Amino acid sequence: MADLFHNLAFGFSVALSAQNVGLAFVGCLVGTLIGVLPGVGPIATITMLLPITFGIEPVGALIMLAGIYYGAQYGGSTTAILVNIPGEVTAVVTTLDGHQMARQGRAGVALGIAALGSFCSGCFATLVIAGLAVPLTRLAMIFGPSEYAALMVMGLSFAVVLGRGSILKSVAMVLVGLLLSTVGTDLETGVERMTFGYLPLADGIDFAVLAMGLFGFAEVLRNLETEGTRDVIHGAIGRLLPSRADLRASVGPVARGTLVGAALGILPGNGAVLGPFASYALEKKLAREPRRFGRGAIEGVAGPESANNAGAQTSFIPLLTLGIPPNAVMALMVGAMTIHGIVPGPLVMSKSPNLFWGLIVSMWIGNLMLLVINLPLIGIWVRFLKVPYRLMFPAILLFCCIGIYSVNNSPADVVFTAGFALAGYGAHKMGLESAPLLLGYVLGRLLEENLRRALAIGRGDLLIFLHRPVSAALLAVGLLVLVVAVLPAIRRGREEVFTE
Amino acid sequence: MVAHDDDAREGSPSPAERRLGIGAPQDLAAGASLVALALFALWAAGDLPGGRLGSPGPGLLPRAVAVLVGLAGAALTVSSFLRFGAPLAGWKLRGPLFVTLGVVGFALTIRSPGLAVAGPLVALVSGAASPETRPRELAIFAVVITVLCVVLFRYVLHLPIPILVIPGLVTI
Repeated sequence: MADLFHNLAFGFSVALSAQNVGLAFVGCLVGTLIGVLPGVGPIATITMLLPITFGIEPVGALIMLAGIYYGAQYGGSTTAILVNIPGEVTAVVTTLDGHQMARQGRAGVALGIAALGSFCSGCFATLVIAGLAVPLTRLAMIFGPSEYAALMVMGLSFAVVLGRGSILKSVAMVLVGLLLSTVGTDLETGVERMTFGYLPLADGIDFAVLAMGLFGFAEVLRNLETEGTRDVIHGAIGRLLPSRADLRASVGPVARGTLVGAALGILPGNGAVLGPFASYALEKKLAREPRRFGRGAIEGVAGPESANNAGAQTSFIPLLTLGIPPNAVMALMVGAMTIHGIVPGPLVMSKSPNLFWGLIVSMWIGNLMLLVINLPLIGIWVRFLKVPYRLMFPAILLFCCIGIYSVNNSPADVVFTAGFALAGYGAHKMGLESAPLLLGYVLGRLLEENLRRALAIGRGDLLIFLHRPVSAALLAVGLLVLVVAVLPAIRRGREEVFTE
Repeated sequence: MVAHDDDAREGSPSPAERRLGIGAPQDLAAGASLVALALFALWAAGDLPGGRLGSPGPGLLPRAVAVLVGLAGAALTVSSFLRFGAPLAGWKLRGPLFVTLGVVGFALTIRSPGLAVAGPLVALVSGAASPETRPRELAIFAVVITVLCVVLFRYVLHLPIPILVIPGLVTI
């Protein structure tokens, strides 16, 4: 315990330097902005800003990128409440009751409780990360290649189950991602694989190009089709501070949402996405009058909002302790770390403690800043909501083009990005979603490396994965999750969760 | 790729598809594309040594994964004849066409003559992708946003982006 406080104090000394506080603020501000603007996600933004972080020292760069990520969670709920459009996937549930509250003239209270809930859960999640980091890092040290491979397979099966749409299609997309990750020079033998002699491909497909194509440009293409009228709340936002009765009604949901979100966020395979859904379902079950849900129940905002923020933060745990990115944003963090010569994994804590604890503490500081950015400045964000999409998308495209060009100063990258965008758009038309593909791609290289090592250790015996208890258990969990998801009863429930 | 009328196709397969026994056109398209991708990958990775399980070569995983992709694709294809599913939503050419043109235009012009030309180009060409675009408003906006980008990326963030490069005359 004393260690924990010592570490946190050290973290404060790093995170409170003028430069790092400034970068955290910029990150939170940009994050809120893109969260508010529908059609620009954190993936595209972080890709865009990646080149800018080259010049900043690594701690500051990661603090800023992290700020963008959880800032976007805050901003996403603002649009969900005011416009009925979730700025981010995790804010989908907030539209149900948050927008109803806004229509009843309680927009301010909805925004207020969302921000307060997020702040409380953010504080708790910071402590969870700090508390779990040391034991998990120790655990990671005893992991061999077969355990790592099994853990990643489990993460991928979670990603399949947690994704939208058909399970078979999600599996296929994860596999396509794995396939794409094998393009480039083989790490062990130096043989060029599927590069067709094209030199830039020798390093593999650039993650920034793939992510920007699938999530930056393709998003624009999809939005251009579904241009609808936006239902912006015109009336006054009203008082921001919830009344005493509101607070009493929200305490339970915030506490439960925080726990649910934090627990799911730790799962490899983007468990954070599930948090708000799970919290909403839980509150509806526990409520004395479930019928109020969907008609402006404050519990339906407080719970999911706390869950999404907690999950966003605890999803740093797999990355920082095991070196396994649980979602695409974390994969970009890997990119940012590698650029600065830091290998994500159990060694980060001992080799660069300033980065580790500085980043964790900066999240708490960032949460405090977000409270200030979101509540008093809400009027400014509302004005941003009124920018028409016909002007926004050319600007998004231009920013994306400049961003992707700057990563390698390569015009060819820009063209490749457009290619991936078309492919992603086409795949979306066929019901093939990009998110599982990206995760498959992210884990692909690491998975192959560990798989081959494990096979070499086991002298070609596939049973090595079952002989070692930890890897056998991880694989069993992965298999169980898949089997359970295919069971008809659960499948119906899953569809309900996503369509509700 | 023909642009279909979305409303008319909502719900069930078209008569032609029903005659062929296709219940889930979207799944059929997805399955066929996955099989095609798998075959392509198998061909592309065909000359890589596979090695043995005990000492896996560079070709082992790509081929194994490609086979799995193909199997998933085949399963989707088969199931599309056996059960009803979502129709293939219509493609609209306008969005993808102008966005791609704009982005490719950016790639061709960013080195020379630079962002001063590439910026307005991508904004103007891609702007045509939306039916709601108003030409005059877009033209003004394109200039403003380009100036903003020049200031932000070049002078605030110090990225080495060429602003205006005309060989022999100007280099900014």
